[in-house]
Amino acid sequence: MLFILRRFVLLLPLLLGITFITFMLTRALPGDPVFNIVGERSSPEVIEKIRREIGADQGVLRQYGGYVALLSQGELGRSLFTNRNVADDIRVKFPNTLRLAVASMLIAAPLGVLLGFISARRKGRPADRMITLLSVSGISLPVFWSGLLLMLFFSLRLRLLPPSGTGGLPYLILPALTLSLPAIATLVRVTRVTVIDLLDTPFIRTARAKGVSEAAISLVHILKNALIPVITVIGLEFGSYLNGAVLTETIFGWDGIGRYAMEGIIKRDYPVIMGCLLIGTLVFVLMNLIVDIIYHYADPRVRLHGTDR
Amino acid sequence: MLEQSTRAEIRSFIAITFIFFLTLITSCSSKDRVEGFIHFRLNHDPSSLDPAMIVDVTGGAIAAKLFNGLVRLGEGYEVIPDIAETWEVDSRGTTYTFHLKKGILFHNNREVKALDFKYSFERVLAPGARSPNGWVFEKIAGSRDFMEGTVDHVAGLEVLDPMTLRIRLDRPFSPFLYLLTMTAAYVVPREVVEQPEADFSSDPIGTGPFRLRDWRHNDRLILDRSNDHFGGRPHVAGIVYRIIPEDLTAVTEFELGNLDLLSVPASEYRRFLNSGQWRSLLVSEPGINTYYLGFNCSRPPFNNAELRLAVAHAIDREKVLRTYYENRGTLASGPIPEPLRAWTAPVMPSYDPAAASAIIRRLGLKGKTINFYVTADQEVTDIAEIIQSYLRTAGLTVAIKQLEWSSYKAALNKGEEDIFWISWWVDYPDPENFLYPLFHSANHGASGNRTWYTNFLVDQLIEQGQRTRDRAVRDRAYGDAERLIVQDAPWVPFWHKADITVRQPWVRNFRSYPIYSMDKGLEVAL
Repeated sequence: MLFILRRFVLLLPLLLGITFITFMLTRALPGDPVFNIVGERSSPEVIEKIRREIGADQGVLRQYGGYVALLSQGELGRSLFTNRNVADDIRVKFPNTLRLAVASMLIAAPLGVLLGFISARRKGRPADRMITLLSVSGISLPVFWSGLLLMLFFSLRLRLLPPSGTGGLPYLILPALTLSLPAIATLVRVTRVTVIDLLDTPFIRTARAKGVSEAAISLVHILKNALIPVITVIGLEFGSYLNGAVLTETIFGWDGIGRYAMEGIIKRDYPVIMGCLLIGTLVFVLMNLIVDIIYHYADPRVRLHGTDR
Repeated sequence: MLEQSTRAEIRSFIAITFIFFLTLITSCSSKDRVEGFIHFRLNHDPSSLDPAMIVDVTGGAIAAKLFNGLVRLGEGYEVIPDIAETWEVDSRGTTYTFHLKKGILFHNNREVKALDFKYSFERVLAPGARSPNGWVFEKIAGSRDFMEGTVDHVAGLEVLDPMTLRIRLDRPFSPFLYLLTMTAAYVVPREVVEQPEADFSSDPIGTGPFRLRDWRHNDRLILDRSNDHFGGRPHVAGIVYRIIPEDLTAVTEFELGNLDLLSVPASEYRRFLNSGQWRSLLVSEPGINTYYLGFNCSRPPFNNAELRLAVAHAIDREKVLRTYYENRGTLASGPIPEPLRAWTAPVMPSYDPAAASAIIRRLGLKGKTINFYVTADQEVTDIAEIIQSYLRTAGLTVAIKQLEWSSYKAALNKGEEDIFWISWWVDYPDPENFLYPLFHSANHGASGNRTWYTNFLVDQLIEQGQRTRDRAVRDRAYGDAERLIVQDAPWVPFWHKADITVRQPWVRNFRSYPIYSMDKGLEVAL
C-alpha cells in the first residue's frame, strides 16, 4: 500500500515537470497557431487581435503560469481552433482509444502467448519456423501496410466489414486486428524465448522426474513462470495503445486520442497537445503501477516495498 | 514433446477462436449508408460551423448548405438575390440598400430581419470575437473603430426598417457585393448564438436548405433536408459527410458504394481514368485557383527581376503539367485564372533553357545555392524535385526544405525562403481577389503577398480597379496590372488545378462548383 501511495504522491511533481517541459518545447517549435487560425488572408490588426485573445502576446513563463492555474481548477483549456473544451474532447475520444486498445490486447495476448508457447515446444520444427517467420513479419510490417491489406481483403473483397468509421463491433474489428499484429509478434518472440529457457531449468526436469503430466508442466510450471516478461510486454504495449495509435486510427478513421493529438500537433493547438500529453503521462504511470502490482501476484519473489527490489 | 491432452486443448482453443471470429465477421457487413441521403467524404473535421469562425473550404462548403446571406453567386458567377429581394447602389458606389424577402425563417421558426444581418456582421468584427474574417467587412464605414472597441456599433450598418438594411462604405469598393456572398456574411440568430452554454460552432442554426442533425467529431456529420426552404426543397433527404483522413480508405469506401461522390485523390486519378467502370463517371470542372512558384523579392538574389525571368525560362511548365500532373489542370498564362479574365492574356516567358543559363551566367550566379521551401506533401515534393532538376540544368543549386504546414507558413510570413511553392484559391470570383491580396504592397507577408512584391504602379492600378464601377475601366486596370506582374515575374504561375470528382452511377444532376459557396445542395439527386 505504501508503495502505491508513494507512486501517487510522486505523480504530482512528475506531471508538473512534464507540463513544464512540454509547454516550453511546444513554444520552441517553429510555426505559429495564429497563422493557422486566420487562414490564408488576414490583416496584421486581426492577427494581433487574435494573438491577444489567445494570450500569445504574453511571455512564455506567464503563459505557463496561466496554464498551471487552469490545471489547478481541473481544466485543460479550450482548443485554439474549435474552441471546444479539451477535457470534453478527451472524454469522448479516450473511451474509443480504450476500446481499441482492449480489443487489440484481447486478440494479441492469447494468440501471442499460445503461438509463442507452441513455437517453443516445437523448437526447430516446421511449426516453429512458420511461427517465427510470421512473428518477424508482424514486427517488420508497418501497420499502414498491413491495415490497408486487411481493409482490402475483408472490406473490398469479402465485403464483410466496414472499412472505416467509429462505432460498434463491426467498426472495431479491422483496426483492432491491425493494431494487434505487432503485439502478437512481440509476444510470440518473448514467450518463445522465455519458455525455451524454462524448459532447460532444473525444476522442470525435477517435475518430469516426479511424474507430473506434460499438461500440468506446461500450464502450471512453464506458463506461470513465463508470465513476468509477458506481462511486461502486454503492459508496455497496452500503455502505448492507450496513448493512441495514430496510424491505425487515421487509416480506419477511428476517433481516438492518437489522431486527436496528431491533429493538435500539426495545427500547433497547444491546449490539445498539452491535454493529450498529460493524459498520456497519467496512463503510462498507472499502467506501470498496475504491471508492478500484477508482478507481485504473478511472482511472490517480487515485493512491492520498493527498497528490496 | 507436447502431451496428447495439451495438443487437444490447443486445437480446441484455436477452433473456438476461429469459429468466434468467423461468426463475428460474417454477421457484419461493409455497407454503411443512410437511405435517401447523399454521402460525401471530408478529409478532416471542420474546425467550426460558425460562419464568423470558418476559414477553411470544408467548413465553408457545409455552411453553404446551412446558412444564407443577403446575396449569393449564380451559375455564371453573377451576384443574385438570396435573402435580399432587391438592392440599390448609389451613384458613388458607397451606399448599398438591401430590401429583404418577407417570411424567411431561421430553423427555429423565427423570421429573419435586417437587424439579424447587422448583428451577424458586427459579431464578426467585435473586439472579443476572435473571428479571423474581419477583413470581409473592414470596408464598411466605422468598422475599424468598432474593431478597436472605441464605439459600440458599426456606423456604416443601418437598419432603416425591419426589412431594410443600409450598408455604407468608407470609399467605393467594386467587388463589395462579392464579399457579401462569403461565409462570414451569412445571417445567424442572435438568441441562439447568445444562449448560455450554447456552442454555436458545433450546433448552429441557420436558414439554409439543410439543418444539422448530428455531428460526431472526426467521424461523421449529418444534415437533414429542410422541407420549407425558400430557395426550394433539396432532392435528397439529407447529407452524410464522412470524415476519412486517408485517401485509400476513402477510395475503398467509394468502391463499396458507401460514398456517392469522391474528389479523386491525385494518386488514384490514373486508375479511375483507365477504369471502364469509372471513366465515364469522372466529372472535371476547371478550378479557379493558381499554383505557382513564388520568389522572395525582398532580398538578393531574387530581388533581381532578371533572375526571376531566367527561372521562368528554365522550366518547361507545359511538360510538367502534361507528364507528371497528367493534365489535371490548365496551363496558367498569368496569375489570374481564365474564367475571371476579361482581357487578353499576358505573354508568359517561354521555355528557353539556353536563355536561362545565359542570364544566370551573366549575373555571376552560376552554382549559387538557393533554398526552396515546400510543404511536406508527396505531390509538392515531386514537383519541387522536378523544378530542382530544371534549375540545376540552368546553373542554380536548389536546396529543398520541407516543412509541415504551420512551420511553412510561419517561415514564409517571415520571408525566410528564396523560392517557395504554394497555391491560391478564389474567395470570390473577381480578379481583385487575386491581385490585391497577392500583389499589393500593403499585403506583404501573412496578408497574402508572400513574395513581398512591390510595384507602386501595380498598386495604383489595383486600387483604381477597386474604386471604379465602370466594368471596362476596371478590366483595363486589372489587365494592365497583370501584364506588369508577368513582366516583373514575382511568380512563375504554373497551372490552374481542375476539380475532378467521380460519382456513383445512381447520382443524378451533380455539378462540381469551383467556388464552394455556390453549391447549396439543391440540385443533386439519387
